[in-house]
Amino acid sequence: MDSSFWSEILGGAWITLWVSGISIALGIVLGLGMAMLRGARIPLLGQILSLYVSVVRATPLVTLVLFLFVAAPSLGWDIDRRIIAVAAMTINTTAFNAEIWRSAFSTFPRDQIEAAKAAGMTQDLMLRRIILPQLVITSLPGLVNEMSLLVKSSPAIAMVGLVDLTRVSYRIGAVTYEPLPPILAAGAMYLLIIGVLVWLQRMVDRYASRLAM
Amino acid sequence: MNDNMPVIDVRGLRKSFANVEVLKGIDFQVQRGKTVSVLGSSGSGKSTMLRCINWLEQPDSGSIHITGERIGIRADGKTPMSGRELAHMRARTAMVFQSFNLWPHLTVLENVIEAPVHVQRVARDEAIERARSLLHKVGMSHKIDAYPWTLSGGQKQRVAIARALAMSPEVILFDEPTSALDPELVGEVQSVMRTLAEDGFTMVIVTHEMDFARAISHEVVFIDQGLVVERAEPEKFFTAPDTDRVRQFLGRYR
Amino acid sequence: MQSWLTVWSHADHILLGFANTLLLFLLASFLAFVTACCLVYLLEGYQNLPRRGLRALLDLLRMSPFLIYVYLLYYGLPEAGIRFDAWTAGIVALVSYHACYFAEILRAARAMLPQGQAESAQAHGYTPFGMYRRILLPQMILRSGPLFGNQLICCLKDTAFLSIVTVFELTAAANDVQSIYFIPMPAFITAIALYWIVSLGIETCLRLLGRLAKTRGLSYE
Repeated sequence: MDSSFWSEILGGAWITLWVSGISIALGIVLGLGMAMLRGARIPLLGQILSLYVSVVRATPLVTLVLFLFVAAPSLGWDIDRRIIAVAAMTINTTAFNAEIWRSAFSTFPRDQIEAAKAAGMTQDLMLRRIILPQLVITSLPGLVNEMSLLVKSSPAIAMVGLVDLTRVSYRIGAVTYEPLPPILAAGAMYLLIIGVLVWLQRMVDRYASRLAM
Repeated sequence: MNDNMPVIDVRGLRKSFANVEVLKGIDFQVQRGKTVSVLGSSGSGKSTMLRCINWLEQPDSGSIHITGERIGIRADGKTPMSGRELAHMRARTAMVFQSFNLWPHLTVLENVIEAPVHVQRVARDEAIERARSLLHKVGMSHKIDAYPWTLSGGQKQRVAIARALAMSPEVILFDEPTSALDPELVGEVQSVMRTLAEDGFTMVIVTHEMDFARAISHEVVFIDQGLVVERAEPEKFFTAPDTDRVRQFLGRYR
Repeated sequence: MQSWLTVWSHADHILLGFANTLLLFLLASFLAFVTACCLVYLLEGYQNLPRRGLRALLDLLRMSPFLIYVYLLYYGLPEAGIRFDAWTAGIVALVSYHACYFAEILRAARAMLPQGQAESAQAHGYTPFGMYRRILLPQMILRSGPLFGNQLICCLKDTAFLSIVTVFELTAAANDVQSIYFIPMPAFITAIALYWIVSLGIETCLRLLGRLAKTRGLSYE
């Protein structure tokens, strides 16, 4: 296990991190947008979004990534495999986040909305100043949990040839005929990343319950 | 503005919930500077009527005018108001709720300045100064930076009253303001409301507290089964009411 | 249209993969569940060093990605002398990995059971194992309804990872058909539809179980 070993491992970790990072960020925002769209009760849109959430949550990330990877060329699109990976992970995590946000919206206390209405707030102002600040705090534990779930399924992107942390461990092992060290190293790196997310979730849990909302 | 125009003018208000008619044609006026108590048994429709005034409930028919302008329906008499127009009308009234409904993520001070700054576009410094004096008036100066979850029910309600006053409303609507409070805490809220009445605020109070209503009101309105049954000055209402129904109601509470 | 017909004519290949997915899923979830019940029983009682170590191990596994764990079992263990074929490695991985998650769900449910349950069972002369099996465990299970549903769907989805280590299941089968006949859309849409149907089935079963729990006054609410 020399420096080139570790530089490859870290290279794989970097790919895992940035692909997951972008998907997480996009997924949180898109999930919120989806939940708000469903709240707006536009007739057909609500059902379509429901269906999307239901199907995507049941689809393995491996299958989704592979699907996008082979479907794009068949439609004549030439898409970089990194974009495919981010797209697949984003589609996946958006569905879960949409559920988290939707559930937070539906349990938001009506009382506060009435007080806001009575004070002459418009829907827009109410959303910005009263609903969203609290919604973010109550949704945070669920959102952070989903972040660690996403990182745990990120090895799926190896399917499209991206040399993420998992695939790099396989490659090193295939070359050195000593598969165990790289697997253990990759495992340790994943534990580090997910450990940080788990710690973050615990902090967020404590913060949310302290504000007693 | 005509000083004789009622601040609140309700005519022919009807409202049903799922085939049950709760308001059957309410007529109700409130003059400027007066405190009006609305009494009645549970289910009589008094809270519903109050909540129609600021359009938290939408009436099925009838009209409601606040300082001469109709709320809920536009000037043409047919088109419902848009969200923005409603918000604009609601900013003229203020409501104090049974369950206080403070915004938990804001401190006491922030709760009071929130609407003035963001709805009425008052400058923040000005709003803060005014908020401080209002909180002093309701006796909550010492809790300015506290969060609602640290306060007792009575304290929360007093903050809610300050929040309502901060809007400089034409009228304050109270929806059973002390019903959710422990008995020891009722007094502190009532004394604040008494001060407001003495200062000449226009107030409509839906309440169960007979003695309090008798003490601070200029007029008592009795609603039963969706209609205004009697309207009188407190002394007359409580000692020599005109209608049997009121006598029956008072009998149960004496 | 032609491509859908191609899928149909190769339905047997896809269905074979689907059957293997179902087999892996059902077998693994059943075994994982039983294992979890045993694990939680082992964790009962005074938190001595072995128990704390076991908990740490379970937590460690839950924090790892499933595929890395599969790699460990399939590629890593041979170096230590243990050799699995792909399917066996897959099953062992599924069972042990998801047993940790099921155990965590049960452990949380156990912590929420009122103290009186165990005490009254002991007063009636139950042995620790009997008490666990007949009094505590049924309640723990019935109280955790939807959490199990979610976990089962995770187990189903994890079977797809096994295609990366050459286990023949639904995703691998769909990939075979589409790569040979150049019909990516219909092949994968079929596979996704099948996953979706199974997950709907899981949710329905759990809803029925939830209704059963309600009649006995024991829902998760």
